Amino acid sequence: MNNNYLSGVSVAGATALLTVMLAAPAQAAVSDSDIANDAKTTGDVVTWGMGLQGQRYSPLKKINTENVKNMVPAWVFSYGGEKQRGQEAQPVVHDGRMFVTASYSRLYAIDAKTGEELWQYDHRLPDGILPCCDVVNRGAALYGDLVIFGTLDAQLVALNQDTGKVVWKEKIDDFKAGYSFTAAPIIVKGMVVTGVSGGEFGIVGRVEARDAKTGKMVWVRPTVEGHMGTKDGKENGVTGKVNATWPGDMWKTGGAAPWLGGAYDADTNLIFYGTGNPAPWNAHTRPGDNLYSTSTVAINPDTGKIVWHYQYTPNDGWDYDGVNELVSFDSGGKKLAGHADRNGFFYVLDRTNGKLVNAFPFVKQIDWAKGIDLKTGRPMETGVRAGDPTKSADGKKGETIFVAPSFLGGKNWMPMAYSPDTNLFYVPANEWGMDLWNEPVTYKKGAAYLGAGFTIKPLNEDYIGALRAIDPNSGKIVWEYKNNAPLWGGVMTTGGGLVFTGTPEGYLKAFDAKTGKELWKFQTGSGVVGCPITWEMDGEQYVAVPSGWGGAVPLWGGDVAKKVKYLNQGGSLWVFKLPAS
Amino acid sequence: MKIFSSIAIRAPLLAAALLSATGGVAGEAPPADPLRSVQWENMYGLYLAGRPVVFDNRVLVLAPQAAENSLEVPVLVDAGALGRVEKILVIADLNPLPKVLEFYPRESRARIGFRVKLQQSTPIRAAVLTADDKVWHVGGVWVDAAGGGCTAPSVGSGGADWVARLGQVHGRLWDRGAEQSRLRFDVIHPMDTGLASGIPVFHVENIEIRDQDQLLAEIRPFEPVSENPVFTLDLPGRGAVQIRGRDNNGNRFRASVPPPAAAGKAASGAAR
Repeated sequence: MNNNYLSGVSVAGATALLTVMLAAPAQAAVSDSDIANDAKTTGDVVTWGMGLQGQRYSPLKKINTENVKNMVPAWVFSYGGEKQRGQEAQPVVHDGRMFVTASYSRLYAIDAKTGEELWQYDHRLPDGILPCCDVVNRGAALYGDLVIFGTLDAQLVALNQDTGKVVWKEKIDDFKAGYSFTAAPIIVKGMVVTGVSGGEFGIVGRVEARDAKTGKMVWVRPTVEGHMGTKDGKENGVTGKVNATWPGDMWKTGGAAPWLGGAYDADTNLIFYGTGNPAPWNAHTRPGDNLYSTSTVAINPDTGKIVWHYQYTPNDGWDYDGVNELVSFDSGGKKLAGHADRNGFFYVLDRTNGKLVNAFPFVKQIDWAKGIDLKTGRPMETGVRAGDPTKSADGKKGETIFVAPSFLGGKNWMPMAYSPDTNLFYVPANEWGMDLWNEPVTYKKGAAYLGAGFTIKPLNEDYIGALRAIDPNSGKIVWEYKNNAPLWGGVMTTGGGLVFTGTPEGYLKAFDAKTGKELWKFQTGSGVVGCPITWEMDGEQYVAVPSGWGGAVPLWGGDVAKKVKYLNQGGSLWVFKLPAS
Repeated sequence: MKIFSSIAIRAPLLAAALLSATGGVAGEAPPADPLRSVQWENMYGLYLAGRPVVFDNRVLVLAPQAAENSLEVPVLVDAGALGRVEKILVIADLNPLPKVLEFYPRESRARIGFRVKLQQSTPIRAAVLTADDKVWHVGGVWVDAAGGGCTAPSVGSGGADWVARLGQVHGRLWDRGAEQSRLRFDVIHPMDTGLASGIPVFHVENIEIRDQDQLLAEIRPFEPVSENPVFTLDLPGRGAVQIRGRDNNGNRFRASVPPPAAAGKAASGAAR
């Protein structure tokens, strides 16, 4: 019996909210056609991938191979605060305003001309957040007068572009169970489409589409077989078939988190989402292909159902994941798509049906498979898998193996670029391997669910990172640029014949897209692990990139540490242009 | 400090806009401050200029002479004697964030109790905008405070699990006779000012109190309102009410408070 004045209590938890905005937007709203045409229109960048197909190609050529050597800073913006860590975002820019997210779930609106802050939103994070791989955020989505981003405590926040006030907020899931969110959302047909992070904690992956104006859920598509999808609040069919590729109850904590951003191809009306590793890492606990982990799933945005999938690493035992982006491109009259996997192979798929067209290595050493069978689409495994701990003498640790690539991958999250001018992919690759062993593991909510131990080792004395220009038809590496530290930033290419990417050593660099010759570099003061963009404003071309060293490498880098331990953190946004002539 | 400075920069613009909109009292100096605060002219320029301002003893501000706890100073504002009131603006001149709350009485009495964080000794003022003639009636008192209330981390921030109780509401109605009831409720919320190092601004920004038919009152708290804010209001009617609110991160809370218990019962409950 309660007997103080607070008896007669009614309690309601925090949930999301819709409000009617009273003020009309001062600036032009971001329309569906702005989003659909983002790759072609040079005055803005309103989507993750600089176009929903994710090519990260801008036709702009005012800055080109001839004059890029003259490029200078226009302004720099500091994220401030006492907390820094990795800055992995891709900025977006529209109608003279830039929106960029930063570590610790922060979002800034900046005057794109002057670099002055318009407003800032710092999400109030609980102490118990469980991001596996640094407190990063990769960007925001624009729609109407809203700017929408996800937070480390697995919430989706939509703010008014003019005021920075929260318009709606939706909880994606329980951060205490390991759910988190670090990707950039995409907008498809008026819906904000997102995944979830948390594959290291045995969560169940899913792709979700919400009404972008209100946050109301439209459909949910789990990425682990056996789980029920929903549409408009009603059951919408189970993903796959229970126990077809998972033993026992393992699918109930199956991981396969689609933790990186998705892409949308209007030609096929398909959303492409990569899915993460099956949980736990110890593959001996889950014999079978473990669908739809380590795959690209193609989802029809109108139905919320999987149309096709392609799995890169069946029964993944190396944490190779499959989450990397699938970039649409057309070649020889075919609708194709390219994907550079953590497992070291580059895949070319027919994006209308997910059939394998071509597959070849894009790193120098791959130990786990001899190649990919172009007929079956399956890897030809070598048998290099960590030993089963239950078969070891003490039952506590299986046989240790050395395998390349390491789990941080031949290419990790950092997005590659494709140029329709050169027909080449520009892939930020890394050459490293790992010692890997398996241990017994059981699921516990909110605890790491790995069942594996590892150390990462460089394969070469002189470099780990390699930016590679890759011909998707021949599989040839046309040129490469080697970098001492691992590459961890996004790539962009332009009609001016340039390829841009950053280095952990602090440089933003520009290369000749045809030859790989380094034409320009600028020291930003901290490691560049963000994604560059370019746009045109008042007749001038601008290039922007976040700077701030962090991400998974300094946390999980093993022997790689000696190449990166001297790198200092930061948090700023650099913008460049040609000097006034 | 960041928020404060941005307010200060925008203030002249705001004041100018108000002046031109009303076309009236441009150039008028603020009336002399009975509390003799060095910040009075600034407060006037920031929040009040553009409407006539009078100091009025009918605006009652009750607060302790000296704050026992700078994190939680109880304040009662009562402007019920003024007739119809559009809104009450509470400001603490010498706080780094002077704006404490706005209260829109709507259907309820122009009277509100709450608790406030104080950074140092400061006047606490209530500026009451009357509905019919749009005049600011201002009352206030000095509160002596040891200080630091606005730049200390919230107590809740010290616990790892603050988020588990975020947005919980506890409340009760008392029968006040003559078709009136008194509502007291609290909301579990850290109310972070953004001035404590490394903790972003995080506060309840809107609370509505409704009965079955209509909006009875609206409160817009700002950063200086104390952690886990407690409010006391006098409402018309004797029925159940709904409390709905949200914070600046978009977290929403909602609660219903049952009608007042029979007088005897309420008294025995309260007696303990």
